[in-house]
Amino acid sequence: MENKKQVFGKMEVSKNSFKTLSEPVKQFGGLVGIIILIFLTFFVLNNIFGEGDELVAKMKIEEERIAQERKLNKLISSLPSGVLVSFDGTDNFKLSDELYEAVCKATKLIPQRAIMGANFLNFRAHEIYTINGNKIDETFVKWDDEKNKCFAGFVVSGKNVGVDETITVSGEALSFLSTGIDTRVYFIKNF
Amino acid sequence: MKKLIFFILFSSLITSLALARSTGCKEGNCDNGYGKWVYTDKTTYEGEWVATKKHGKGTETWPNGYIYKGEFKESQWNGIGILFFPDGSTYEGEWANGFMNGKGTFTWSDGKQKTGIWKNGSFQE
Repeated sequence: MENKKQVFGKMEVSKNSFKTLSEPVKQFGGLVGIIILIFLTFFVLNNIFGEGDELVAKMKIEEERIAQERKLNKLISSLPSGVLVSFDGTDNFKLSDELYEAVCKATKLIPQRAIMGANFLNFRAHEIYTINGNKIDETFVKWDDEKNKCFAGFVVSGKNVGVDETITVSGEALSFLSTGIDTRVYFIKNF
Repeated sequence: MKKLIFFILFSSLITSLALARSTGCKEGNCDNGYGKWVYTDKTTYEGEWVATKKHGKGTETWPNGYIYKGEFKESQWNGIGILFFPDGSTYEGEWANGFMNGKGTFTWSDGKQKTGIWKNGSFQE
């Protein structure tokens, strides 16, 4: 009982001392209070809804990807338009190891003739491809760090003599077409 | 706005005309006889034609480096022919329905060879 009285007494004292403060000081104190409240609110909301470090990490990855893409696009536009190859024995532009990797990483398209060429060695894929109106489910171009080679391929699926089939055809991407704007896989060596 | 639409239509017309002029039968007789046909993707066929179909001896060159020299039947690779792959590998032998079918030799660009019977592009062990 005695303690309670003491506490209330102290509160009364601090209340009175606050009242005695000048108006600008009070206003400044209020402002600081509001700012702290806003910070706290955002802190709480960020903890509840925000992704914090994860979001920052994602943004950094995306920024790096965009920067890398810009760099590759610049390199692609500097290449001569025409056929780029990674092997000897042709009059086409021979890619250096470094350029081969860069072109591989920048390439996304695989034109029809490259697909038809790869299908020479995969009759079942050819059948599904033609039965389904030359439809391709998915194409991919990947750089293999272990083998230091570029691999490209495609997935065909559909009914073949009443049976649903999915076939992935892949091989080494050895030549590319440079249009000046982009590059396309021109030859998939799947033999 | 009208000018823009007119410009787009005019450009499309010019592009179509230019494309039409660069494709089709460019030399000779592509109905019955010997002629050269250029496709829209720059694939070319130069050889014999029968009833508007590739039939007889000819050479088909794909823009991505595949070259087939040999016999055609009903526009398909059929008979004896040689296919040059873009990397220098070749298959020389029999063809049927556009695929390696029959006796033939596959030679890799490094000189390695495989000779035997092929069925629909697959080597028969």
